[in-house]
Amino acid sequence: MPARFNEMNSIDRQVKNDFGFAAILLGVFAIVVWLLLMPVLPAIANTTMHRFHLCSSNFAVFAAQFPIPAMYNFANQTKVSDVPPGFIDPFFAGLDTEDSFRYINHFPARDATFSIGRYKNLRDGKDHWFTLRSNYRGQELETEFRLKAVAKWQYELQRMSAR
Amino acid sequence: MTDLPTTKGLLNRRVSFAYRVVQFCLLLSLLWKWEFFRGSMEIYDGISVQDDFFPELLRSNTVLFGSFACVIASTILAILVSRSFVRHLMCAFSLIGLTVLCLHQGSYNDATFTTAWWTSVWSWWFVNRMHRDAPDVLLTKAAFLSRCIISMILLGGAAGKWTSEYWSGEVLHDIYFVDRNFWTFNWLRERYDAESLREIATIYSRCVVVIETAFGLTLWAMPARIAAVAAIVLLTSIAVFSNFLLFSVLLSLIGLAAVGLFVVRT
Repeated sequence: MPARFNEMNSIDRQVKNDFGFAAILLGVFAIVVWLLLMPVLPAIANTTMHRFHLCSSNFAVFAAQFPIPAMYNFANQTKVSDVPPGFIDPFFAGLDTEDSFRYINHFPARDATFSIGRYKNLRDGKDHWFTLRSNYRGQELETEFRLKAVAKWQYELQRMSAR
Repeated sequence: MTDLPTTKGLLNRRVSFAYRVVQFCLLLSLLWKWEFFRGSMEIYDGISVQDDFFPELLRSNTVLFGSFACVIASTILAILVSRSFVRHLMCAFSLIGLTVLCLHQGSYNDATFTTAWWTSVWSWWFVNRMHRDAPDVLLTKAAFLSRCIISMILLGGAAGKWTSEYWSGEVLHDIYFVDRNFWTFNWLRERYDAESLREIATIYSRCVVVIETAFGLTLWAMPARIAAVAAIVLLTSIAVFSNFLLFSVLLSLIGLAAVGLFVVRT
């Protein structure tokens, strides 16, 4: 253990002259505090859920969070349908296994924007309705998107609701 | 006394080698992504999504491809060229390119670029200190900083899983155990019925939550070499047992973890 203390003392001495080191450590510390407070401060989880659903109040709020690691965060689910939500009677909708919610690791909006999700869900060139749902310790955010086909394989993302 | 310059020369080479190992792992993580990225570019060229939430520049396919290519090219040059000026410049290009990738509509959700971004931040700091700090001091600081970054990233994964859906195994059961085509889950599906698989998913998920939390909270405080070995084993096992594609996310962190192996014994 003495070698361990020497190491920490050596770091302490050097930090004073190294602004970059101190700045990175400060950034890491700020993120750790943010993460540790997430289970107890609903506002933090709520901000992250809005980040995941691409519905932060503006792009700057979304962009400011990009250094915060969020791998496999929250219980996120997506459902993709070729008819608007509520169009089919809930009884019959329950029989349609193709449209059921599936879990997704993080950033559920990626089912519409990212790589394989975009290919799988939008390759037919028709309108699609996405329902995204994120849960964390009793908090929930549900968002609905319409991916409207404006031309052949050209879509417009329309935000319908977030609650 | 005559041994001193030689020792200093060896230590300088050690610093340079540590830097190259990190750059090499960063490069490898991006190359691991190459096929997937190339396929994604074809999809983005074929199917466009107009979403005004993202600024126009961050929806452009040219910007996306250019940023990825810029990071790969600058990382290669950072490995091959030893001149301080070039290393500074390449680290700056890499950091800018990765910042764009972390914010672009086609890549914002990809954890590969988040871990690469943090590795790039570390690299930028490291090249700035290479000729200012004594080599042994620099390696000690660099290893400490890399441990803090890896701890924070693991904690980022853990904190979002402190919820009943992960503790019950429900989420990972649906993502991995139901139909994921990967050797671990195929092997389990061949041997166990649906009910047993659900129970295994619960144990698996709880292990993930506990291990990520434990490492996230303690890795930064471990001695450099022990932390390096522990982190390399943990990060490698995540990809080996859940998804080989995850190496693109983890390789840059494995490079950062390896810095601990270069710390000079006192």
